[in-house]
Amino acid sequence: MTLNIPSFNLASIGPWITLSIFAIAILLADALSPKGNRTAAPLLALAGLAVAGFQTISLWGKNGLDFARMVYVDNFSLFFYMVFILGTALTVLISLQYLKDYGKNLAEYYALLLFATVGMMLMAAGAHLIMIFLGLEVMSIAVYVLAGLFREDARSNEAALKYLVLGAFASAFLLFGMAMLYGAAGGTLFLNDLPGRLTAGFKPLTLLAIALLVVGFGFKVASVPFHMWTPDVYEGAPTSVTAFMAVGVKTAAFAAFARVFFLAFPTLMPDWTMVLWVLAVATMTLGNVVAIAQTNIKRMLAYSSIAHAGYLLVALVAANQLGAVSLMYYLLAYTLMNLGAFGVVILVGRKKDSYLSIYDYAGLGAQHPALAAAMALFMFALAGIPPTAGFVGKFYIFSAAVKAGYIWLAIIGVMNSVVSVYYYLRITVLMYMKPAEADLGPINFAPAVTATLLLTAAGVVLIGVFPGFLYNLALNSVKIFPGL
Amino acid sequence: MVVPVSYYLALSVALFALGVIGVLIRRNVLVILMCIEMMLNAVNLAFIGFADYFKAVDGQMFVFFVMTVAAAEVAVGLALIVAIFRNRATVYVDEFNILKW
Amino acid sequence: MTADSLLLVLVFFPLAGSLLALGAGYQPRLCRWVSLILSLMQMALISLLFFLDLQPHSGPTGTWLLAVDYPWLEGIGARFSLGLDGLSLLLLWLTAFLTVISVLISWTAINLKVGLFHFFLLFLEGCLMGLFMATDLLLFYLFWEIQLIPMFFLLGIWGHARRIYAAVKFVLFTFGGSLFMLIALLVLYVLHGHQTGEYTFSLYQLSQTPLSPTVEGWLYAAFLLAFAVKIPLVPLHTWLPDAHTEAPTAGSVDLAGLLLKTGFYAFFRFAFPLFPGAAQASIPLLLALGLVGMFYAAWIALAQTDIKRLVAYSSIGHMGLMVLALGIWNLMALSGSLLQLFNHGISTSALFVMVGMLDERLGSRNFQDMGGLWQQMPVFSAFFLFFALSSMGLPGLNNFVGEILILLGAFQIRPLIAVLAFVGVLLTVIYILRMVQDSLFGESRRVQPLRDVTPREVLILAVMALPVLYIGLHPGPVLRLFESSLQVMWGQFPMLARSLGG
Repeated sequence: MTLNIPSFNLASIGPWITLSIFAIAILLADALSPKGNRTAAPLLALAGLAVAGFQTISLWGKNGLDFARMVYVDNFSLFFYMVFILGTALTVLISLQYLKDYGKNLAEYYALLLFATVGMMLMAAGAHLIMIFLGLEVMSIAVYVLAGLFREDARSNEAALKYLVLGAFASAFLLFGMAMLYGAAGGTLFLNDLPGRLTAGFKPLTLLAIALLVVGFGFKVASVPFHMWTPDVYEGAPTSVTAFMAVGVKTAAFAAFARVFFLAFPTLMPDWTMVLWVLAVATMTLGNVVAIAQTNIKRMLAYSSIAHAGYLLVALVAANQLGAVSLMYYLLAYTLMNLGAFGVVILVGRKKDSYLSIYDYAGLGAQHPALAAAMALFMFALAGIPPTAGFVGKFYIFSAAVKAGYIWLAIIGVMNSVVSVYYYLRITVLMYMKPAEADLGPINFAPAVTATLLLTAAGVVLIGVFPGFLYNLALNSVKIFPGL
Repeated sequence: MVVPVSYYLALSVALFALGVIGVLIRRNVLVILMCIEMMLNAVNLAFIGFADYFKAVDGQMFVFFVMTVAAAEVAVGLALIVAIFRNRATVYVDEFNILKW
Repeated sequence: MTADSLLLVLVFFPLAGSLLALGAGYQPRLCRWVSLILSLMQMALISLLFFLDLQPHSGPTGTWLLAVDYPWLEGIGARFSLGLDGLSLLLLWLTAFLTVISVLISWTAINLKVGLFHFFLLFLEGCLMGLFMATDLLLFYLFWEIQLIPMFFLLGIWGHARRIYAAVKFVLFTFGGSLFMLIALLVLYVLHGHQTGEYTFSLYQLSQTPLSPTVEGWLYAAFLLAFAVKIPLVPLHTWLPDAHTEAPTAGSVDLAGLLLKTGFYAFFRFAFPLFPGAAQASIPLLLALGLVGMFYAAWIALAQTDIKRLVAYSSIGHMGLMVLALGIWNLMALSGSLLQLFNHGISTSALFVMVGMLDERLGSRNFQDMGGLWQQMPVFSAFFLFFALSSMGLPGLNNFVGEILILLGAFQIRPLIAVLAFVGVLLTVIYILRMVQDSLFGESRRVQPLRDVTPREVLILAVMALPVLYIGLHPGPVLRLFESSLQVMWGQFPMLARSLGG
């Protein structure tokens, strides 16, 4: 008996290897270095992300499969690699001072961030449903631990446990869906093979599988009615982890969502677009309406993130080339504006999150004009007001929906944007037009957070005014979907 | 005697449904974790049944992945339960109420 | 550098200048001077265009006096294209003029966050420059939305007691309306793309899209909604009195003089050429809305006790007459209404400026606290009477020319409407006279004397009186500018001339 080991090229998973090695190195360095010296970990994490970024760039333009057809090496996954790397790097920057204030600047925090990033990359590049599942779990388990980072804090505990229970619950649905799909497709889970294998005779089983996959992904992207965990977990988790969840987890889940549905089920498009249409409308509407009633800034951003999941679902429903492009553009824009907003939340929250009510923002415009201006910019971007990236992203998404003939969906989306203006604007109103209830006191402008705010603010404006470059990159990346 | 694939499937669906119901109605978080395990094992059963039916080996391999992942998940889950028990001295989900559930 | 690229300068000079003003904000005096000089330079630049002897020439974006066209959002087909014609030129001049006035009247009134205030004023000017010249619909939409931000802050930071309510109401109304325009825009874009294979937002190309009457009706309705909120047409006007009452004087000037104009301008520039069939079908609606606006505004204005609110309602009435002229759609009525657009920008802004001055002195805008101002402030009162007479259309002053053209144009085709409109104009006379009566004449009810206008204020008022007199006595050149613009437009959009019997 001979054993055939398929040939493979380690370079095609270079970023994963780099990040894993750096993560292990961080853990080792922490174990071997004298107690109390933890400056190396964030630097190592940033170095690892930088190396992974270069590897990603050098892979750009490749198009194919590797590792026994298990991994895609294409521009679609590489684009998302870059978004993940950017998101993680910015998270590292906003975490440093925040964790120090809590006395929790632990090396394993940074190692877990890198591991979670590897999981996200697996999700974006998986060519087999089991790969996507493994990526999802690698990411999720790391994030469960991160959410519970503040061991002594009951809120952090609670958030982590809720996230874990509901996350595992959702994974089980996802897996069950995969098992059904395995049966319907006659024993394969390769995304490339699925469209040819899903014959009409097994349609009920396939539809069941799709429904279960929607539940599983719906949990991860925080879509209504699978969104219940989002506000609690976002509020209870450490703010830097919340930012990471809002940005990284959602992006990775959408990358896998789009890849699986566009690639594996093009023939069943009328069925799943109908379901997603309903989910998109419910998600946008509930997210925006409930966000109005929130007074905790993290909870408000949680509902805003639900609403944004709804807009992104609109891009999936459109299921055309512009839809895929708009999804990618919006996820990058969302990464920038949301991380920026959370950076401000961290700065305003000061030591140990003492100021998390939206009323703590009253008078910020007078006392810290630059910080208030940054927050106003992020709020306008999230609301989708030009000339920010948020406007261009929403514009792309709604034009994709109109192009695909979903005019009502676009109209509902637009009406939701009006509702959302109300609560984003309220933060601006508080900052600029209400007097401070008390002297806000000094804010510790940690250099890393300040740099993050500058970077994200510049990015939000820059890709809002000149979206052409990014549009072309994304357009280049979605050519892999033959059905669109 | 050959067991038809539909039997595997029926058992798998029944187990999965029991798991779902358990997660939704039980209060003890340890039991909830066990119910999730049951859902995952229902998945494993379905994979094995299909793999046997199609004479494909990969379905059986998936089971190992699922088991590994489930073990990791439970490890983290138990660690979190220990942490929460230290703070609150309870394992009942309806008492985890600092955050609105 | 050709004269065409001057258009880019017109848009980006104020935008860059706004940053300069923000930077100078640490020293209020410096910031005021910087803003004044920048806005005067912008005005000089635009005035220069009047003397260039520009001739219309056609290009890829249509026929314009000056035009630029650069790629912008690749892949989507949106371009950065601007075009200038007589109408835009005059509105640009009005924008620059009122920005100068806004800087001047805020000289002593604004002492809080001076840098930010002037930043928003100049930023708004830049946005409006772009808005009045955009010939790409997406670019137009962009400017249309951005102008909300400076206005929101101007209202919300420097306004009066209920400023936040007014600012939020203003933003929600206009943002809500304009998003429907965005949807209509997208639908039109996609339809055009499907039919021709070329995806574009160019006004010129989109106007050639053949549309079924139903689709055209819906799209037109969405545009109508967006513009009607901004104009504002009754019953979508409720944000305006609140916004005016709470706004600082400079905010009121920009709001009445400029922002309301954008709605009418957009109607004229975009809604009619894009949907000529639906526009024709909507003529009865426009006539009705115009008349309702005039009568409703007059009725409500008569009941006002707050002088600023009264002026705000007079604004709604004036805009009603202009919309009515749109429904008439002949050369005479249209020239008249375009002229009114300009006149209203000057006269009403001047009234708001004077109400602001009064407010600074009296600390009240209630008629009960006025009366007998003529004895105490003769110079102020003379100017007030002058602008009030201008606003109600006294012969020899600017509004008379516009109103008489509209009424004469209406008589030619719809005598009944013309009679009703005439009644509406008479009602305007009644409430304006009442305003003058209650504030300037009668018994004084105050003990402490009021200071008359300062030299700075006289300068502002005198400068604003000049265009009033010029247009009232010698409207020929301005009217010729409009008529040539209208001819070009009808040449460019033959559908428009035909369907509306031009």
